[in-house]
Amino acid sequence: MTTTAETIVAGDGGNRLNKQVKGWPGWIALVAIALVALIIGATRSSGPLTDDDRLDGISQRLACPVCDGESVYESQSPAATGIRQQIKALIQQGAYSDDQIIQYIETKFDAKTQLVPKATGFDSLVWALPVFAGVCAVAGLAVAFRRWKMSPDTVPTEADQAIVDAALREQGDE
Amino acid sequence: MPDPFAGGAAAPGADRDGDREGDPLPTAAAAKRVAPLIVIVIAVVVAGLFWILIGAKSGESDTADTPLMGKPAPVVKTTTLDGKAFDLQRRKGSWVVLNFFNSTCVPCIKEHPELVKFAGEQSALGLDGSEFYTVVSQGNDHGDVRAFFAKRGGSWPILLDDDASITVAFGVAKVPETWIIDPNGYVRWRAISIVTDDLLTRVLAQLKSDFNLALAR
Amino acid sequence: MLAASMNGTVGHSILLVGLVCATFGALSTVYGIRTHDGRLLRSTQRYAIGVALAGVAAFAVMERAIVQRDFSLKYVQTVGSADTPFLFNVTAIWSALEGSILLWLVILVGYTVVIARRFRKRLDDPLVAWALVVMFVVCMFFFLLTLGPTDAFARGAEGITSGPGPNPLLQNHILVLFHPPILYLGYVGMTVPFAFAIAALITGRVGERWLTETRRFALFAWAFLTIGILLGGWWSYEVLGWSGVWGWDPVENASLLPWLTGTAYIHSVLVQERRGMLRVWNLTLLVSTFALTILGTFLTRSGVIKSVHAFSNGTIGPYLLGFFGLVMVVSLGLIAWRGDRLRSPGAIDSPLSREGAFLANNVLFTLFAFVVLLGTVFPLIVEALQNRTIKVGSPYFESLSIPFGITLLFLMAIAPVLPWRKASGELLRERLFWPAWGGVVAIVIPLIFGANGLAPLLAFGLGGFAGGSALRQLALATRRQGVRGLLGRANGGMIVHLGVIIVAIALVASTSYTHSSRLILETGQPAAYAGHTFELVEVQKFTTPRSTGVRAQILVDNAKTYAPAITTFTNFGDNIPTPSVRNGIVNDIYLTLESGAKAGSTTAAIKVFIKPLIVWLWIGGAMMVAGTALAGFPGKRRRRPTEPTSAPVRLDDLPQEEPVNA
Repeated sequence: MTTTAETIVAGDGGNRLNKQVKGWPGWIALVAIALVALIIGATRSSGPLTDDDRLDGISQRLACPVCDGESVYESQSPAATGIRQQIKALIQQGAYSDDQIIQYIETKFDAKTQLVPKATGFDSLVWALPVFAGVCAVAGLAVAFRRWKMSPDTVPTEADQAIVDAALREQGDE
Repeated sequence: MPDPFAGGAAAPGADRDGDREGDPLPTAAAAKRVAPLIVIVIAVVVAGLFWILIGAKSGESDTADTPLMGKPAPVVKTTTLDGKAFDLQRRKGSWVVLNFFNSTCVPCIKEHPELVKFAGEQSALGLDGSEFYTVVSQGNDHGDVRAFFAKRGGSWPILLDDDASITVAFGVAKVPETWIIDPNGYVRWRAISIVTDDLLTRVLAQLKSDFNLALAR
Repeated sequence: MLAASMNGTVGHSILLVGLVCATFGALSTVYGIRTHDGRLLRSTQRYAIGVALAGVAAFAVMERAIVQRDFSLKYVQTVGSADTPFLFNVTAIWSALEGSILLWLVILVGYTVVIARRFRKRLDDPLVAWALVVMFVVCMFFFLLTLGPTDAFARGAEGITSGPGPNPLLQNHILVLFHPPILYLGYVGMTVPFAFAIAALITGRVGERWLTETRRFALFAWAFLTIGILLGGWWSYEVLGWSGVWGWDPVENASLLPWLTGTAYIHSVLVQERRGMLRVWNLTLLVSTFALTILGTFLTRSGVIKSVHAFSNGTIGPYLLGFFGLVMVVSLGLIAWRGDRLRSPGAIDSPLSREGAFLANNVLFTLFAFVVLLGTVFPLIVEALQNRTIKVGSPYFESLSIPFGITLLFLMAIAPVLPWRKASGELLRERLFWPAWGGVVAIVIPLIFGANGLAPLLAFGLGGFAGGSALRQLALATRRQGVRGLLGRANGGMIVHLGVIIVAIALVASTSYTHSSRLILETGQPAAYAGHTFELVEVQKFTTPRSTGVRAQILVDNAKTYAPAITTFTNFGDNIPTPSVRNGIVNDIYLTLESGAKAGSTTAAIKVFIKPLIVWLWIGGAMMVAGTALAGFPGKRRRRPTEPTSAPVRLDDLPQEEPVNA
């Protein structure tokens, strides 16, 4: 693709053509195609999930109650195997949503087994802090760029000049 | 908790903070005040993290602790290998020892003679002895279990767990595991991996004396 | 020849010699710097060699003890066994805490002696001298660990003639030979740029020179960290049987954190070399990277966070935490003290410039590192403040990594074509046109093949866009310079970018479009799933001296048989499922055997995972490594390290770009 671009650039007449192709019409066509494709992709369904796909999805959200840091999906311990089997049984009954199944498992074992922290109370900090940090970062960048924009082009001071001279001397020595 | 690195967001600004005298920038004075602030914020955050980490409990990795310790044992309602109905809640009144087991598990094979010895001693005690049960893991072939017990001895009731509900309810990490439940149906002790007759007898004696002391009060 | 039972004593003595060497090395170097004694400073090399010999010898003695099965040592009793095969017996040394610290030590002393050798003509230069002091101090710390809390040479109980051997998961794949040493080469390698950063702060020579001197070390360490992490994913895929490569487990996060800050550094360092800006920031990144390796080791090795990978804890926690505190206090103190010299002249004129893009890249990587750290330690925070336990697992990290991944891919598409200082909209329209069409193609093709979902398609599109930009830069460079156009930092970097894009697309595809099903197979009756047929041939039993197991021979698509197995290790009693994988350019077929299979039976239950594009994860990884190696070669033009970077950039010095069609 790149080479095509550069071949077009090469010729003199190609240059004009190149400019026309890469102008606004070309970009508008590009964005339009991309958007249509994305919308088609985002709205079409992937077909019905199999029971095992649902099992995988649910078990990835649950912590294995007896393991160190593994999910029910990953663990091979008897308890995790058992929970997987129970989830599968619930799925096969066909009457419950994923969230209902997770709630059932949670109440049944009276344990904090969800791997996704809640979005309420103190736990919500784990969601809020990244957003807060992101906002701070963007704001910090904005302030920094404003200050850089306001500052006049730096004029080297005498001290700067001394550093440069020293550096040049050092370079000369080698 | 603010980001220990969030200083990074401001750091490009901080780069300019060491401005020397004579710098024409009007913001220089403001910048000088910002730099120490950022350092202080970072220091405070790191100190906070430090404080939390110092206080953090370092758990034993092979813990025999369980959230169920001292709490009522989960429901164990199932059938035995012989097809009889079984309900743990009906067994209140004597100590219960549950052994989670799988006939293909090598440590279970190693452990078995000790369990045979222990179960024999307990049943010899008559009413004072504890009840002993084996819970078979889900997926373990019933024929294999029968063959195992026929070959290696042991005549206590064998509980099936074909829907894994017992394993899950107790939170069994790996077989073999042994649990002791007191006459009121509360979980009192749990061991992961192989137990011996000697250990079980000692632990049971200790638990019984604690239990009777508590009753006496 | 040493008597086997001497191993403990010999090991202790060697470590003690190493500790003494490191201490004397540090003290004599500091004294030499203070008294300007060049002769003393030039002798530093001897201490470095001494330290290195001691570290290597200690490792060798331990390895010998394990191979010869010297069960008088407690460590050999834990990880050794009479019947572990030779290969896994060799790797057993790093299968538990004590030995892994020895591995760390041997790599650390290696780096120390390499620095001392490489700068042997400049050992009297205070910058180099201080860097060596830092290395010696870190060595001292690790020698202390191996003598105290993680004593690998401690005597064990009498009369033991065999042990359990390493964890079963660590003895069924060849990758255990490569993953830990390579990961540690990266992890420990971050010490070198850190040492030079501290030396630059102490000497006040915070100019750009120390950067160029450690650039290759940083790249080297970064590359090995990358390989190590990818190998870890590969091991997980091949061994653990849940078909995943990354579980966001605390130990995995601990290796990711320094990688993220390290990646930020190797980008932002270019801004400093070019424009002399972001000095504090680069120092902060180097310090963070090193501090995070220590913090990560503390989190996962002290037992405060539980993880499948964590080793059972000893008393190492307080040591590592103390060292982490020392690193933070010294670094922050030095940065505050040298703040006056760290001021950098100049300004970034426009966000739409190469340096602006690097800045955005850095903000994203550090924010991501923050998120990963926060998620990892959040359970500890909740426990400390509210005394209850919660869990933060992969769904949290995955949902937060999506926006970061998408933004980073977008940045990778734009940044390579941006000139330094300032770019115009017209220039961008011109340069990004064909790469953007690459993005469109990358959305349309998967769409034709039935892909769906906004986030994955967006990732594919931006991946294609970024790939187009990288290819454009490479095409321009090779057209101008031939094969040499693949060398140098900018061009090698583009190859790394291509690798990263391939890895990203493989990750997105394999997590978004994996399907699985449990099949119950009977011999002679092929079952169909996802367009493939699976037929059970037989269920076999197998025995080795240390394990027994069952293995199901499964004929896939009537072409070849695959044999997922369940192995029971006699010493542990755990049932370890071993998957069997058919690799393919488009799909991997990943088979695991469900428990309950019996030898000789005519039925078996298996689980089939169809994992699209996952092979490309390893191909992309290989490209990243190759690109890093090419980036290590000098490119077209080498700037003198001391070139006064605050000077205005000359016009003919603009990056390797074709003239703009104005």
